[in-house]
Amino acid sequence: MNDYWPWWAGAAGLALVTINYAIATDRSFGVSGAWDRVLHWRTERRVERANAQVTDDAVLIEALAAATAGPLGAPPLTPAARPSGSGGAGTPGPDRQPPAEASSSMARLLPAPLVSQVGLLLSILVGGWVAAVTSGRFQLRLDMGEGFRQIVTDKPTEMVAALFVGGVLVGFGTRLAGGCSSGHGLNGCGRLQPVSIVATAVFFGTAVLVSFLLWKVI
Amino acid sequence: MRTRGAILIVNIITGLALGFTVANIGFGDYAELNRMFTFQDLRMFLSFAGAVAIIVVAFAVLRVRRVPGRIHAGVVPGAVLFGTGWAISGGCPAIPIVQVASGCMPALVTLAGIAVGIRLCRWANTRYLRIDSGSCAR
Repeated sequence: MNDYWPWWAGAAGLALVTINYAIATDRSFGVSGAWDRVLHWRTERRVERANAQVTDDAVLIEALAAATAGPLGAPPLTPAARPSGSGGAGTPGPDRQPPAEASSSMARLLPAPLVSQVGLLLSILVGGWVAAVTSGRFQLRLDMGEGFRQIVTDKPTEMVAALFVGGVLVGFGTRLAGGCSSGHGLNGCGRLQPVSIVATAVFFGTAVLVSFLLWKVI
Repeated sequence: MRTRGAILIVNIITGLALGFTVANIGFGDYAELNRMFTFQDLRMFLSFAGAVAIIVVAFAVLRVRRVPGRIHAGVVPGAVLFGTGWAISGGCPAIPIVQVASGCMPALVTLAGIAVGIRLCRWANTRYLRIDSGSCAR
């Protein structure tokens, strides 16, 4: 008997995390994507700088359009140039909204900042540590537990090899598939995206098959 | 809530909650994971499936936008590799972090393997595969 959460508490917890993230950021999160970007941080920094330049240019164009539309009496060209009030449609002047709406819609198409991906990975570590300590499960050890010993191997060298090879398959596979259990499984399936439903069905089905092989055959 | 600072804070809160939740569900426990994948115990499976069901309803009600994505050539082979690796090592990309956080040091080897696999995938894709996989989570 274990002291893990009942299924409904786990479901509620995972759902809350995913829904809150989507509401707060208008994005979806994925741990393999975060790993990918952090591990390729040099390239990602360059991409981020280039994206920032493009966004700045877009904001500048919007601002110029808003500024020139006023004196010329031209109708607003973009949503960003609409007047803030309900009356006085097309009224030019200083009460125009800044082009925040356009820049915001552009910014949300960009990936989350690299630093936020580092924050995500580190905070998973802290969250896991808090859970382990508060539940009394924290224990420094050099094995993977009784389950791994019985099902996979009880030899330390084979354990290291299995974990490394398994890790390589996870890393390679998640990036090839474009996501993992959080990106495809929670966020993608939650949005009923066909690619995520296919990926989740395949990785879960494969894991079931391999687990049965490990348990019953090997 | 979409400035860089706000996204950073949301990511930190999400990471804390995700790590806490995943650890308390038991995803870091290899025996529990194997019992889920072999249907000996449906508790963790129901946690995951129940979460997806709640998210589907909530996203539909909230009209959450979809993320661009299509079924490209890498989806099925990638998912097969991922499923195999998950069943062997007990780790999807978040779980070894939680395992290390609970004191399980061999999970560092899994993390090293994941890092190698991720870098290998980008290298292989750039040079040979050339699959425009996009990403489900950017």
